[in-house]
Amino acid sequence: MSMVQLLQTNAQAAPAKPRPRVRLLPYLLSLPALLVCVAILVPFVTAAVYSLQRYRLNLPYLRGFIGAGNYIDFLSDPAFWNTFRISITYTAVTVVLELLLGLGIALLLRRPTRFHNAVSIMLLLPLMTAPAIAALMWKLMTNPSFGILSYLVGLFGVTDFKWASDPSSALFTVVLVDVWVYTPFIMILLLAGLRSLPRQPFEAAALDGVPASFVFFRITLPMLAPYIITASLFRLLDSIQQFDIIYAMTQGGPGDRLMVFQVQAYLEFFQYTNVGRSAALLMILWLITNILSNIFIKNWLQLRARAHGHA
Amino acid sequence: MEHSSLAGRIFRGVALTLILIFFMFPIVWIFLMSFQTNEQILRIPPRILFEPTFANYEALISGQLRTAAGNLQISFMRNLFNSVVLSSAAVLLALLLGVPAAYAFARFKFRLGESIAFTLLSFRFAPPLLVLLPLSLYYQELGLNDTYFGIVWVYQLIALPLILWIVRGYFEDISPDIEHAYRLAGHSWREAFTRIAVPLAGPGIAAAGLLSFIFCWNNFVFALILASADKQPVTVGALAFVTASGIQYGQIAAAIVLSVTPTLLLALYAQRYLVEGLSLGAVKG
Amino acid sequence: MARLEINSVSKAFGAARPADGLSLAVEPGEIVAVFGPSGSGKTVLLRMIAGMFEPDDGDILIGGRSVVGAPPERRGIGMAFQNFALFPHMTARDNIASGLRASGNEVARRVAAISKLLKIEHVLGHAPRELSNGQKQRTALARALIGNPDVLLLDDPLRNVDAKLRYEMRLELPNLLRRGTAAVLYVTQDYREAMAIADRIAVLIDGRLAQVATPADIYAQPASVAIARLFGDPTINLAEVSPVAEHGMLSAEVAGARMRLAAADGTASLGSCWLGVRPEDLAVSSASSDGAIPARILAITPMHEKAVLLLRLADGTEWLAALPPDAPQGAADDGVFVRFASDAAMLFDRATGLRIGASPRLKAA
Repeated sequence: MSMVQLLQTNAQAAPAKPRPRVRLLPYLLSLPALLVCVAILVPFVTAAVYSLQRYRLNLPYLRGFIGAGNYIDFLSDPAFWNTFRISITYTAVTVVLELLLGLGIALLLRRPTRFHNAVSIMLLLPLMTAPAIAALMWKLMTNPSFGILSYLVGLFGVTDFKWASDPSSALFTVVLVDVWVYTPFIMILLLAGLRSLPRQPFEAAALDGVPASFVFFRITLPMLAPYIITASLFRLLDSIQQFDIIYAMTQGGPGDRLMVFQVQAYLEFFQYTNVGRSAALLMILWLITNILSNIFIKNWLQLRARAHGHA
Repeated sequence: MEHSSLAGRIFRGVALTLILIFFMFPIVWIFLMSFQTNEQILRIPPRILFEPTFANYEALISGQLRTAAGNLQISFMRNLFNSVVLSSAAVLLALLLGVPAAYAFARFKFRLGESIAFTLLSFRFAPPLLVLLPLSLYYQELGLNDTYFGIVWVYQLIALPLILWIVRGYFEDISPDIEHAYRLAGHSWREAFTRIAVPLAGPGIAAAGLLSFIFCWNNFVFALILASADKQPVTVGALAFVTASGIQYGQIAAAIVLSVTPTLLLALYAQRYLVEGLSLGAVKG
Repeated sequence: MARLEINSVSKAFGAARPADGLSLAVEPGEIVAVFGPSGSGKTVLLRMIAGMFEPDDGDILIGGRSVVGAPPERRGIGMAFQNFALFPHMTARDNIASGLRASGNEVARRVAAISKLLKIEHVLGHAPRELSNGQKQRTALARALIGNPDVLLLDDPLRNVDAKLRYEMRLELPNLLRRGTAAVLYVTQDYREAMAIADRIAVLIDGRLAQVATPADIYAQPASVAIARLFGDPTINLAEVSPVAEHGMLSAEVAGARMRLAAADGTASLGSCWLGVRPEDLAVSSASSDGAIPARILAITPMHEKAVLLLRLADGTEWLAALPPDAPQGAADDGVFVRFASDAAMLFDRATGLRIGASPRLKAA
């Protein structure tokens, strides 16, 4: 009997019994997480709707749909452009400073000696401090009458430096706090990245006597690029939404000097009770972060696949 | 890099010293300040050596604040208690919700799962106020405003993405064959989950839990919007305390020390997992 | 005592069809090796039986009862995995005992018995990471065997152990597996392993069973040229021929020499065929004779138990000959003559690849 025949007889003998089995289990297990998702998405959609309304808590009878009215108003509103400019400036300055400083520190701590590891753990402490509390710490240190930093700059002849309470130095002061809190974040990610790089290219370069600057720009940086990009995007996303440090330090002041997106939206909501305008402001911020986070997630997934050994 | 010159070594030493001073000094200084009286603090020039006092901590713990204007009742210990309750409850809930979901996302490839995972991830990066402000209006209608449960629920926004993505990675690293083998040995999927998957993902679950706790503890804006004084955690409470106590700088410093000590100790304890947690599982330490 | 029956089972993953109407029965106490090239669907078949995923179509029966849809833990299956799949947080003892639901004494007794049989008594207290690959593999086998399952599935269990151990286990396993009455399905990519261990071999190619037969039959009477090429080292020699029938015999021209092949069923000549001759069925001599193919030796590989010669036939076809080591071999570049017995030749239809006619070898016997 040929194989073909054998297969045919067997095929006839067996009645086909298709049993489509719906797998409920995964859905059951993720149901609670789905609920949390809904609990996020509902207010999010609500906010999107609010942003298209004239909606003031103190004037409820005026509430009504005004289409893109809130958004159009922003175009001619200097307060909005001030917010936009301050947010972008704050973000750009903090991320660039933290990236340069973080990379520098990571390079210094690259060799996994006991001392270097101890230093890197110590540097984690600012990052683990609540940013709002960190702002209070720096507020104490920059107090014009007794703050240690005021005293120290006084030694260098800078008297009457007002730190966060002076419009000209307020941005500098909050950036300083942000750098203090978040540089360790960049440092620890890049340090992990540096230590995970393959050794061969560096050993080969050392054997060939390649100059250090060439090694850094042509080997280290390109290989570290995915980590640098992910860490920077992470920080960009957080920094453009900074609230805690600025609110705890100056509540957006002095004047409107530090009126970044979320602080402005918070005040629109609670101080001016203008829900529609606050929501529109946050939707614009969301649009910016959404673009960034899409790029970020792509990079992040690649790093994650690499970390789990299936790249 | 390995064979650095003397100049190079000096440069690295100086650089590391400056870095350590910049990042450590604020913590050390505030710590010292918390053991000083107001007069000692206001002294110019400031002194490193001083007679330490525990008066600031005593005042905080007893809730009796002596100010120039007289005695002030302050409930900072209540804030500390709130932080413990809110953060622990949030992490427990997030583990309860997140670990099974992370398992489902790791083991079964299904569209809804990926959608949930990525929605939570993308909202991790959305402006928190965008969700919080409308939510505060809903909360008022639902009566959830200023309740522990209401705050614990929004803390899921912080804890859940973290737990989901870190623990998912750990589950994915376990060979499915190990669970299959356990099931073929006569055990239900539930037993395979609790006796094989969860113990093997244990370090990841612990790390994600500890980190979630730290991030919930450090959160400021959620409770600022959703909680009034008697439900506020230390982050919001400390700010209120600064406003209330005015110029009692030693007590402010002591309140700061009490606020940050738990997370700093946890961070030191869990430092092995911090890299992974901070990058939401993208980088292994 | 339970029979394993697989009836017309199909499974598709997107465009891939790792199981395409598979039917196979394994009797209690029988060892059937599922053999095929990688990617042919061996592991998928095993996993459907074990219940890790369900077939799209068809049925799987154990002891006459369908197990499709039943959870893995209720199928009465023991399984050993290619990567061992030991529980890393349990000792070897707890790994082995994980499947037993019995009193402490009973568990201890049975663990002791099975670990004695597998010679791993001394490592029972160790964690899997402290075991050598061979010990891991024996622990995994003990875990699969201890519950006396109706069906035993072994997924290439010797893949990840070293050559010496693999050789030992090839000798030990058949006895070990036949102790019980389990129906054993043994997946392997190594044809020697399949031949050494199995009562029957099921050859799986592209999700279909190409042949199910005893090891001897598969070697001597492969159903197709593809199967003939999977068994044997060196692999079978092939030549394109168009056999003609004359005087009741088939003959064909191979590289200019006319070779007698076998008794013809009729007087009809066959179309284009593959002629297959196993390397060990070739004889090589320096003297010409009737029915010998002139060839040139290109290289000789002495392998101690045999010598393998790479030959170029007159028409450029390259064949391998495996000769006893003491046979006169000649040297590279020598001109030689190659012969084979007419009953050693197999013919395969060129279009379908299927073998033509019953085995000449059996007829001769």
